[in-house]
Formats: sequence, C-alpha cells, structure tokens
Amino acid sequence: MNKKMSLREVEKRTYMSYHQDGLIDIFVGVYVLLFALGILLMTVTDFSTWFVIPAIFPAVMVPIWVSAKKRLTMPRIGYVKFGSRGANKLMAIFIGLMVAGLGAFMVFTFASRSQGWALTLRNLIISNGMIIIGIGAAVISSLFAYTMGLKRLYVYGLLTLALFLAGHFINIPFGYFLLAIGLVIVINGFVLLIQFMRKYPLSQGDEVNVEKSL
Amino acid sequence: MSKNPSNLKNIDRLIHEPTRLMIMTQLYVVESADFLFLQHQLQMTPGNLSSHLSKLEEAGYVEIVKEFIERKPHTALELTKKGRKAFKEYQQNLEQVFTNLPK
Repeated sequence: MNKKMSLREVEKRTYMSYHQDGLIDIFVGVYVLLFALGILLMTVTDFSTWFVIPAIFPAVMVPIWVSAKKRLTMPRIGYVKFGSRGANKLMAIFIGLMVAGLGAFMVFTFASRSQGWALTLRNLIISNGMIIIGIGAAVISSLFAYTMGLKRLYVYGLLTLALFLAGHFINIPFGYFLLAIGLVIVINGFVLLIQFMRKYPLSQGDEVNVEKSL
Repeated sequence: MSKNPSNLKNIDRLIHEPTRLMIMTQLYVVESADFLFLQHQLQMTPGNLSSHLSKLEEAGYVEIVKEFIERKPHTALELTKKGRKAFKEYQQNLEQVFTNLPK
C-alpha cells in the first residue's frame, strides 16, 4: 500500500464531499455567462469595456461564495478546515483568473484600434476566437478540476472545447456557444444544490445534543 | 514499549480499532472538522462517534475545541501533535508488519 497515495485519496474524497453542493458550478457558470454577454454586447454596441466585469468578478465572487457556504452548506454537512496548501492553490487560481481577465481586457482594447499591429491582432482574434476561447476555458477548468478533485470540471472544460472547436467550423457567433455552456453549468449547479439540500436536510436532532456532551 | 518495528505489539490498539482508525485518518488529512462533518463523512451515529472521540481525547490524540461562530455553539475537532505523531507511527508500524510477512 502506498501510504501517501491512500491519504491523498482520502483528502480528495473529503474535498469532493465538501463541494458537492453545486455552488462552484453556479459561480463558474455565471462567470461564463458574463463573458458571453460581453461578447454578444460587443457585436451589437462595440462595448469592449464590458470585459472589466468578468475581470473583477473573481474578487467579488469569493466573499459571496464564502457566505453561501456558511448559509447553505455548513449548516447541513458541517464545517471542515483544510490545510493551507489547498487554499493557497485556489487563491493562486483566482488571482490568475483576475490577471487573465485584465489581460483579455487590455488585449481587446488594444485590438479595437484599426491600424498596424492592432489590426493584425484584431483579425487574428476574430478569425481564431473560437479556438482561443475553447482552449482557454478547457485549461482553466482543468486547473480547478485538478486542484479541487472535482472531475465534473474536466467535463465542463472538454464540453466547452468541443463546442468551440465545432463553432470555429460551423461559423455561428461564439457568444451564443458561451451562453449555452454557461447555462448548462449554472443549471447543473442548481440541480446539484437541490440534490444536496435534499440529501442533507437541516437537523437539530441527536447530533446536536450528543455534540454538547463532549 | 519495544522499539522493534516488526513486533505486532507496537501497533497502537487505540488507533487500530476500525472506527477510531477512520476518525484518525479523516482528521489527519484536514486541519480541523466539526462533529457534524465527521458524522456525515464517516456515516456514524452521534452516540458512537462521541464515544470514540472521548477515548481519543482521553489519550491526548484529539483536541475538542468549543467555540461560538456567529453566536452559535460549534465544536471543532483536530488532531493534536501527539495524535499526528501517533498516527504516523501507527502507519509505519503497520507497513513494517506487512513488509516482514513471510513470502
């Protein structure tokens, strides 16, 4: 028996059970929907500054997610504090997402000009946008999946990549693909949340009285 | 206690009991957990879990911290340094027992 591998599996299972509430799916789905709205709005109004919202969303998302965990998850399944290693990895990913969002904003702002390298970059982004977004989403989703042990995030990433690769050849505005993926993830998140709340109903029974006797 | 790692007598029998082993393993991979989480994760009844936790606390392996979070009573459980050391030694001794088994 490999000691480290067995304990790592226990740690992963613990992490998975604490995140079976669907909250991560809801927030990731909303993040994707915000990107979708930004892209669709750009096709209508050239509103490139919309991308500031997805860039700052992770900073806004964390306190909201923590609050949702306290109100929905903890009263039902209890509370666990993981070691700092996992928390540091997650924080690094969130910071990376913010940087990526700001980077995308800067790139799109530069590309909105109509001369020189900006025009070349703009044409490159427009002609390969579907592939770029598909690969980016798959990478981000895989990072979260690996860190958190939530395998369904790999599925979201692959689904996004597959749809966007198909969209590159079918020539449908990719904002609609992103919208569809965001909706799928959000809906799945709510389904998981409802299942979680049914599986772990709020209780003030034996466990509270016994806990008090410790 | 003898330091011979191949001796079955070195196995910590307090940890070796299956239910307590599950508790120790679960607490080992986290910084702390509360009673409700342990109960759900290990699928134990409150009374059974409480009984085993009391034994582990008496041995100094588990620390039970009572606190208030947003004005609600909360019981956090974590392994002590002694408990983490005992768990590591238990793992090493158990591995040695299997290693020394005749082929």
